[in-house]
Amino acid sequence: MEQQESTIIEDIQQSQVPASQGYWRETWRRFRRRKLAMCALVYVCIMALVAIFSPAIAGTKPIICKYKGQIYFPCLGYFFQRWENPIFITDGVLNKYPTKLKENDPDSWAIFPLMYNDITRRVKENEMPGRPGNPAFANGVPSAMNPCGTNAYGYDVAAMMIHGTRIALLVGFISTGIAAMVGICIGALAGYFGGWVDMILSRFIEVVMCVPTLVLILAFIAILERPSIFHTMAIIGLTTWPGIARLTRGEFMKLKQSEYVTAARSLGTGQLRIIFRHILPNALAPVLVPITFGIAAAILTESGLSFLGVGSSVSTASWGKILSEGRSNLSMWWLTFFPGLAIFLTVLAYNLIGEALQEATDPRLREAGK
Amino acid sequence: MLSVKNLKTYFPIRKGIFQKTVGYVQAVDDVSFDMKKGETLGLVGESGCGKTTTGRSILQLIPPSSGSILFNGKNISGASDADMRSLRRDMQIVFQDPYGSMNPRMTIRNIVEEALIVQKIGTPKERFERVRDVLHKVGLDDTCIYRYPHEFSGGQRQRVCIARALILNPQFIVLDEPISALDVSIQSQIINLLAKLRDELELTYLFISHDLSVVEYLSDRVAVMYLGKIVETALASELYANPCHPYTQALLSSIPTMDAKKRAKRILLQGDVPSPIHPPKGCRFHPRCPICKDICKSETPPLIQISESHSVSCHAVE
Repeated sequence: MEQQESTIIEDIQQSQVPASQGYWRETWRRFRRRKLAMCALVYVCIMALVAIFSPAIAGTKPIICKYKGQIYFPCLGYFFQRWENPIFITDGVLNKYPTKLKENDPDSWAIFPLMYNDITRRVKENEMPGRPGNPAFANGVPSAMNPCGTNAYGYDVAAMMIHGTRIALLVGFISTGIAAMVGICIGALAGYFGGWVDMILSRFIEVVMCVPTLVLILAFIAILERPSIFHTMAIIGLTTWPGIARLTRGEFMKLKQSEYVTAARSLGTGQLRIIFRHILPNALAPVLVPITFGIAAAILTESGLSFLGVGSSVSTASWGKILSEGRSNLSMWWLTFFPGLAIFLTVLAYNLIGEALQEATDPRLREAGK
Repeated sequence: MLSVKNLKTYFPIRKGIFQKTVGYVQAVDDVSFDMKKGETLGLVGESGCGKTTTGRSILQLIPPSSGSILFNGKNISGASDADMRSLRRDMQIVFQDPYGSMNPRMTIRNIVEEALIVQKIGTPKERFERVRDVLHKVGLDDTCIYRYPHEFSGGQRQRVCIARALILNPQFIVLDEPISALDVSIQSQIINLLAKLRDELELTYLFISHDLSVVEYLSDRVAVMYLGKIVETALASELYANPCHPYTQALLSSIPTMDAKKRAKRILLQGDVPSPIHPPKGCRFHPRCPICKDICKSETPPLIQISESHSVSCHAVE
């Protein structure tokens, strides 16, 4: 019988009927027509690649090295301190890789990142043989060695921004991911069950909606002993879900009444199957739009927090933090210009994507045809 | 096979923050009828008279307020979801809007197969075979299996919906205005398909429609509803030849006809259908009735049997 099924599929393919278009393929077709949104999508994809490979693009730790007969990937230390093998700390190689590796083990070799610059310290003279040290203060104008200049202490701005991409995207995705999960669950429950469940959850949504994210984060930072970027993400996520919940609730209320849900009930379909197979896939498209805008808003909030000097710990590079350095060194324009531009472009890109998604998934525009 | 007794479906009207019930929409009020196996009962009436609610209440898609529904001798009114699940293998429904009643994100295969999955029938391969069989039965070929509802015409979509209702091999199908949303040319195809399937599979239909000529063609018996109540029920041939209730007479006279003499006799009803929230006292039809008497305004006429298969609820009928 299995053969039979495959022959049927073959028959279908041979019958010259154009392949059917699923919902998402159709959405993608509509999305693709918007040039600006496509540029934004490409931009976001490039940012994601930069974020993933940031330790390989800028850093002072080798991407890969052979040391005392073993292969190491010290650059992973930029993701987590722990991932840099302790042997480098005990041997005193840390921060002096180019010279110390050869000194300790003449057979060693290493491949360094594209830009030899660190995000938490100044590169000193001859640290990398033949490379001058980073300039500091007003001398740190953008140059070939420091394309975005250096800050007051001689840290490379380009390196900080490349590593800051990681933070920006992490904040955007994790906090909005939390918000989406909470929002969709609560909205779905309220919308599907209605009655007093809806009554209670709607009041809860309204209460959370009143909580100002920024103030709550400031309060938490004050309480927490060692606030990290993940606390910020969690709080942003846990305060921005009401918008998503309200939209999901509305969609569920609408779709619950739809004829195909009644049809599913008439077949004896259980509630879980109705929620997950019939309502959720159809409710998801409109919810995707506030999620996209939410990513932009989360990035903006995090930058704002870093600008105020709270939110992320010292060792994390973030765009907002560079901005706040620019505030105290107004003459060093590159400290404000580059991170500002990065934040602006990223938020703009997400908003453009969100807007295009809105139009691509809007059923009224879809029905209108081409 | 199916026996509906004193079925009432009221929708509460809630107001205020405490959702206090301030009244009821009496969508279906005291409806009773019986259906034999293999019989087609046509349920006619204008929009808002409770035809659809009756059909859905029988399938427990809208919980009835009171009354009993005996299906093969078992009362299914108020049955639990789990009990209903097995009963749904035997009773199915086809909706008015074929596009709206299919999940736009599912392929035809998924839509038709779902009933089997939900009812845990067969292995995936067997299910696939059954989906193909039933699609062939309703006149669709294999090319449609992996397509989406929006790629079909109205008539094809309704065929898919009929296939979905048929896949569980039910005995009883509620046809809730299955042709109202279709073009006239397609309507006849679907009607013929329904008639063919009924004869092949010995199905029992509850055929809900406002199109009297179609009901005449497909039904053995016809029940006329007005404002939540059945006002007249008779064999189709008899009802069309000898309508007794003034509402039925008015309804039948509204069928467009080529005969100039008949057209002259058209009975025009005054006014609109009253609100089912505050139905008129006595006979519900009395404010619009051309032969209204005093008794009609105070007493509800019972459904009287005037011949073996003909019952009327009207004071004017002796």
